[in-house]
This record gives sequence, C-alpha cells and structure tokens, in this order.
Amino acid sequence: MNLTEIYIQEVTRRLPEKNRDDIALELRSTIEDMLPDDYNEHDVKEALEKLGNPAALASGYRDQPMHLIGPRYFDVYLSLLKMIIPIAAVIAVISMIAEYFISFGGEEAVMNAVLNMMGEGIWRIIEVGIHVFFWLTVVFVILERTDKGKEQHPLSASLKKWTPEDLKTVIYIPKKKAITKLEVFGYLMWTAIWATFYFYANHLLGIYKDGGEGLEFVMPALNQNVLLHYWPIVIVVIALEIGLALYKLLKGQWTKKVAIFNTIVELFATVVFIVIVSNPNLMNQESIAYMSNLFTTSTKQFEIWLIGGIIIIFVVSAAISIFDGFRKARIR
Amino acid sequence: MSTLLNSLMTELRRGTLTLAVLSQLRTPQYGYSLVQLLEDSGINIDQSTLYPLLRRLEKQELVTSSWETSESRPRKYYVLSEFGLDVFLQLKREWINNSKELYELLKGDEDKDESD
Repeated sequence: MNLTEIYIQEVTRRLPEKNRDDIALELRSTIEDMLPDDYNEHDVKEALEKLGNPAALASGYRDQPMHLIGPRYFDVYLSLLKMIIPIAAVIAVISMIAEYFISFGGEEAVMNAVLNMMGEGIWRIIEVGIHVFFWLTVVFVILERTDKGKEQHPLSASLKKWTPEDLKTVIYIPKKKAITKLEVFGYLMWTAIWATFYFYANHLLGIYKDGGEGLEFVMPALNQNVLLHYWPIVIVVIALEIGLALYKLLKGQWTKKVAIFNTIVELFATVVFIVIVSNPNLMNQESIAYMSNLFTTSTKQFEIWLIGGIIIIFVVSAAISIFDGFRKARIR
Repeated sequence: MSTLLNSLMTELRRGTLTLAVLSQLRTPQYGYSLVQLLEDSGINIDQSTLYPLLRRLEKQELVTSSWETSESRPRKYYVLSEFGLDVFLQLKREWINNSKELYELLKGDEDKDESD
C-alpha cells in the first residue's frame, strides 16, 4: 500500500482533468522532500498529516467555489425566489381552474369536482414551487461560476453594485396600507367559489333536506337557464376580479389607483348582481312556494324579502370595500 | 474561547501569508524549500494552503514556474515575475505603513492601560 499515491489520487480526482498531472507530479516531489532519506510508514503518515485533508487541499487548488450560491448572489436569489413563487403559484391555480371549467362536462358531481380541484390545486402549487426553485437555482449556480467579477459584495436586485440611489426605487410600505398575499389569495378563492356556484347553481344552490344519509338536494332555488343567460357579463366580472387580485399582488399596498380599480370592480359587480337578481324569472317558483309554505308567508312577500335582503347585504359590503380602499390609500 | 481566538488569529495571519511568500521568491524556490525558508524565519505556514497559493500566484502572473529535472527528482521552481516584484514592493510599503499605524494605535492603548 503506497499511501502517497493514494493521497495524490484523492486530491487529483477532485480537480479538473487538465491540471491533474502537473499537480500530481508537484505533490509527489513535495511529499518526497518532506520525508527523511530512510523513511518508514510512520514518516509518510506524518508528512501527509501536515498536508491535511485531501478534500481541503483540492478545494484550495480549485478556482470554483465550494458552495452553490455565494454571498454575492444569495440576496438577489432569495428575493427573486420570494417574488416568483407566489406569482407562479397563482397563475398555475388560475390556469388549472380554467382548464376544469373548459373540460367540465357536467356528468361529474359538482362537489366532487370542487374537491378534486382543491387537491389538484395544492399539488400544482407544490409542483410549480419545485420547478421555480430548481430552475432559478440552476441559473444562479451557473451565474456564480461564470461571473468573473471577484468582488464579494452582495449585489442589488438590478445585479449592479449597491448605491444610495437604489433606495429611491424601494417602495416604502407602511403596515396599515399593505396588501398581504393572504388577502389576495383569499380574494381569488372567493372569486373561484362564487364562479363555481354561478355555473353550477342548479346542483349547489337550492333547498336541502335532512335525509337518511346527510343532506339531500330537494330542488334548485334558481332557474339555471335564466341565470346562465348572463354568462358573458359574468365572465367579464371574473376577469376583472382576477385582474384586480393580480394588480394588488403586484403593488403590495393600497394606492389611489388600486382603490379606483377596486371601486370600478365593486360597482360593476354590484350592478351586474342587481340586474341578475332582480330578473323576475330567476327564482324557481317551486322552491319559492316550498319556502313560503315553510315560513307561512305569501310567495310574493317571501320573494321580495329574500331578494331585497340579499341586495342590501351586497351593496353594503361593496360600499365598505370601496370606502376601506380609499381610506387605506390615503394613509401616508 | 480558544477556538474563537484561534480563528481570529488565523484570520489575522491570512492576509500576510501572500506577502511572506512573495518576499521569499526573489530567488527561485520549490515548494518544500519555501516552507523551510519561512519556518526558519519563524513563520509557521499551513502547507495545505501554501501549495495552492503558489499556483494561484502563478495564475495571477505574479510568479513564473519551471520544472527542474536535472536533480534526483523533478522539482517545480517558482520565482517572482517583473510584475510580481512590482506588486510585492507596493504591498511591502503598504504593510509597513499599516503596521506602523497599528503599532502607534496599540502603543497608545498600552500607555492608557498602564496609567489605569
């Protein structure tokens, strides 16, 4: 067993091909220099001990860093990751929901479809997260190894050296006017939920009765044909709400523009809602009769009471949202 | 305590290593002769950092190298290049100035410590 040769192999196998022979030759002669004329294994061990761990010695010879992403790029890498993952996740979920709507044939129970969507949504978010993480890391690892600048200072987001001028491009966000990502996700979730209810109202909205095994769907509350008559305008509302959510995510805080956008969306949605709800043919007459029977009121009275109540709730919540938006936008 | 002190000392010494090596390369030296030269002057150097350092200096064109095969075994000799000599002299001046300033700073401290 020639320890010297094994040691040299342990060092050179970690080095690029083209340097191996030269470094091996130099190491061999150096180790022999360190040994006395008449040496034994103990002397060899002592000499190798001085040279230290072969991995450490090899890393000294290599120019490449022994880390994936160094201090120069780490900060930019992390902030890009934090920025891209939520956006990619939102896009993935939205496109998945859209796919579902396009391919939905109506033969599947809607509740099942919703549950499937939730499961698939979580899976898509994980998948997209892994993809973003992997590719961004690959890009930065390559950047780290090709960048010839030997400066160790962390780079700013524009990949340039930091100057005080950079502070001007940073948006200062007071806590009170910040829009959290949770808020945006909640908003998108709400859009997805009501859209589902709109398109499948005949399976979801209606009168349920406590049957033998859980709730039993007795009859739909609405006239699906009348309801679906409005689909183009409803699609516009959905598009506006998704647009608003993405805009909020991008801005990260309430500004005057966000508040105005919010107002437009709320007003538009309210008008559309009132128009749809006040259509006299919307309510399923059978279900109205069923309900008024239950509450012992006249059918007409029940209908007015129900629709009026819903409209008032909707208008009030829209007004609160509009007012709140402007209030937060005005905070300095 | 002792590991912290050790790491601080290593850090303190790290920058001076290049200067020490450059100073001894006005005449051609091979790896082990350089180690001995430095050890004779009381500079204890980690050999696993020295040999890679020599290669790095060569890559930075501060030193040139040549294989000497006439002796009992082949040896790689390193010697300062013209550029390397220039850089060494500047580094040397810088170091001397720095250590003077630091010495004054530490000396002032010492006077204070004594008067306390």
